[in-house]
Amino acid sequence: MSKFLKAFLFVSLVFAPFAASAVTVASWGGAYTESQQKAYADTYSDPSSIVFENYNGGLGEVRAQVESGNVVWDLVDVLPSDAITGCDEGLFEDISSEIAELSTPGPDGESMLEDMENNGLEYHSGWDCCVPQIFWTYVVFYDPDAFPGEKPDSMADFFDTEKFPGKRGIHTWATGIIEKAMVADGVKPNAVPTVLANQTGAIDRAFEVLDRIKDDVVFWSAGSQPLELVKSGEVIMAIAYNGRVGAANLAEGENFEYIWEGQVLDQEYLCLTAGAPNRDAAIDFMMHASTPEAQAEQAKYITYGPMRASGIPIIENNEPWGPGGVDIMPHMPNTPERLAVSIVSDPQWWADYGAEIGERYAAWMGN
Amino acid sequence: MEVTISTAELLTTDGVPLKQSLRKAERRNKLRAFLLVFPLLFFIVVTFVMPIGDMLLRSIDDSQINSVFPNTFKEYKNWDKAADELPPEEVYKSLFFELANGDKRQIGKALTRMNYAKSGWKSLIKKTTREIKKIVKKGEEPVSYKETFIKINKFWGDPTYWYSFNQMVNDRSSIYYWNAVDRTYSEDGDVVLQDERRRMYIKTWFRTFKVSVYVTIFCLILGFPVAHLLANLPLRYSNLLMIFVLLPFWTSLLVRTTAWIVMLQQNGVINGILVWLGIVSDEGRLQMVYNETGTLIAMTQILLPFMILPLYSVMRVIPKSHMRAAQNLGAKPAMAFWRVYLPQTIPGISAGGLLVFVLAIGYFITPELVGGKDGKLIGSWIAYHLKTTLNWGLCAALGGILLGIMLILYWLYNKIVGIDNIKLG
Repeated sequence: MSKFLKAFLFVSLVFAPFAASAVTVASWGGAYTESQQKAYADTYSDPSSIVFENYNGGLGEVRAQVESGNVVWDLVDVLPSDAITGCDEGLFEDISSEIAELSTPGPDGESMLEDMENNGLEYHSGWDCCVPQIFWTYVVFYDPDAFPGEKPDSMADFFDTEKFPGKRGIHTWATGIIEKAMVADGVKPNAVPTVLANQTGAIDRAFEVLDRIKDDVVFWSAGSQPLELVKSGEVIMAIAYNGRVGAANLAEGENFEYIWEGQVLDQEYLCLTAGAPNRDAAIDFMMHASTPEAQAEQAKYITYGPMRASGIPIIENNEPWGPGGVDIMPHMPNTPERLAVSIVSDPQWWADYGAEIGERYAAWMGN
Repeated sequence: MEVTISTAELLTTDGVPLKQSLRKAERRNKLRAFLLVFPLLFFIVVTFVMPIGDMLLRSIDDSQINSVFPNTFKEYKNWDKAADELPPEEVYKSLFFELANGDKRQIGKALTRMNYAKSGWKSLIKKTTREIKKIVKKGEEPVSYKETFIKINKFWGDPTYWYSFNQMVNDRSSIYYWNAVDRTYSEDGDVVLQDERRRMYIKTWFRTFKVSVYVTIFCLILGFPVAHLLANLPLRYSNLLMIFVLLPFWTSLLVRTTAWIVMLQQNGVINGILVWLGIVSDEGRLQMVYNETGTLIAMTQILLPFMILPLYSVMRVIPKSHMRAAQNLGAKPAMAFWRVYLPQTIPGISAGGLLVFVLAIGYFITPELVGGKDGKLIGSWIAYHLKTTLNWGLCAALGGILLGIMLILYWLYNKIVGIDNIKLG
């Protein structure tokens, strides 16, 4: 046997155990994954055992891995509708008993799930396979310098091109926009999911509102685009992920204003892939990543809100929480006051109607 | 004199008939040849034939859901829709037991499928299954299964939900292909147009086709002179020019796409210059990106090298003396170009044109980023269904149609131009 082969065998024998025990987490990449690395992995008992990998969302790759029996990702960071579908289809493993047993309760002894319900969330089947991560939102923002006079402060203003002439930046898929349109039509933000689910013709109503801005829209499809659009003056206001706006304000010295009314809160989960190669280690990391402390820690690095209600007071009581002594609360989407004027997106409803509305939205865009 | 040769009597030195010995040698040669190409053949079968076969199979396959609800579907076929508003009691009864006893994951998968047929199935079945399991746990036997279902949720008394079963009751169906061209099944199982507000695939197909043809034409118009210059300039200039062609080719696709956004947007470079020159007014800035125009411009620039390079490699070997000879014989330059030069570049035009067209028709990232309102192509929808809705059947059908279009074009091309006319150099 050649020396090279021997050396190779030796190296692989030595490193194989490490390689096998590393928990692979598929997440969205960029500043978001960086914040997960700092808040969850770096604070974990064995930081080197957690490896993040980037993916582009959706369950396509997870399904391919599970169906082929070649599971590479132990954990996947997903949107709630994917958490539901993945859990229903058995792409994610049902660990509800482990969650009940091992998750860290809140300060008043409330269970993790109760803690999430205190944040305005409702149980869905994704909760059986996944632990909570963050709240992120579709929020409207603008550059105050572009409005010397009156400034917009409601969804009605966003959809009113007579009061505020100029282009609006919105995204090329339907989630979030439908809900905002309902608010502009006079539905109370908290009631939007109920109205969408129960009122016949609610969708038609939303599309009628969308028609009002149809000729004044610039469509974006990547998260960085709305910031460019507003910065360059291409549009006067835009819908964006609040984390992007927060980063621009905190790190790039921008002075963007949010319109919190009608923001659409969406959730983010960490789910255990069925047949994960490092199942037990992965569950241990899930439990760590869903403690109120770890959730509050993440807000230091990105302005997304903890999904456990008990994470908020930790931030509030320890301001300035951000790096370099900046206050984080002005950028948190889920303070009690802001929750009162927000919509918590209903993932079950989107799992039911998302495909159909997606096609209808595309038809609306192209007409 | 008559000469007869009897091959049977010809023997080799070791006494074996010649024919047999030759056949043996030939067989050995064939085997050797096969073994040589085997790795390539294996590679093609595994990475090309099998995935495409699997994809085409998926586009007509509905066996998963049929294995979850076999009895329900069997009973469903007995429903006389003209006579009864709702399906017969047996349908409800079969569904009751198939939901109560079925494997949770298999039902979960079937739900994803059912939801494509009609939005809302997912949560309806989930809620119903929970209630049914409660009933079974209590050990109650429902008097009327139909009433039980309707009591659980009023939608079970809504025939439109039941009609959507039409799309799933067979192991093999063409519903995905119909969906891919804005059609669906009516309550009687006839093919009808999709709800008007949801029709967008046919439009997208035409747009994909249109954009691909335009991009190919633009690439040819822009690429032909460049390739000609490249082939005819002295070496030191043509090398520099070649770098100008190749440098963008080597630059990341995303960078080039983003650069076009910067150039074309309303406050971008081009609009800025136009306003400064007074060609357009400040309010009348042109919308050149986030629509079809943006897609056309960006895709043309990105695919241009795929036209220039094959053209260049063909033009390089056309002797310059041909044009001189033509002119010497009395042809004007234009005529000499048209009759002598152009016909010799046809193999390059074919290769470049086909390359650009094939790449354009399945293009995804650039249209996704600059397409905005009406510049998205069919590739975006394949990605959307692959990742977001998990409707892989529809994905496969869209891909299958794309493949079909390519095969038809290839066949047409072979008929008209001849496939051996293609040349890459």
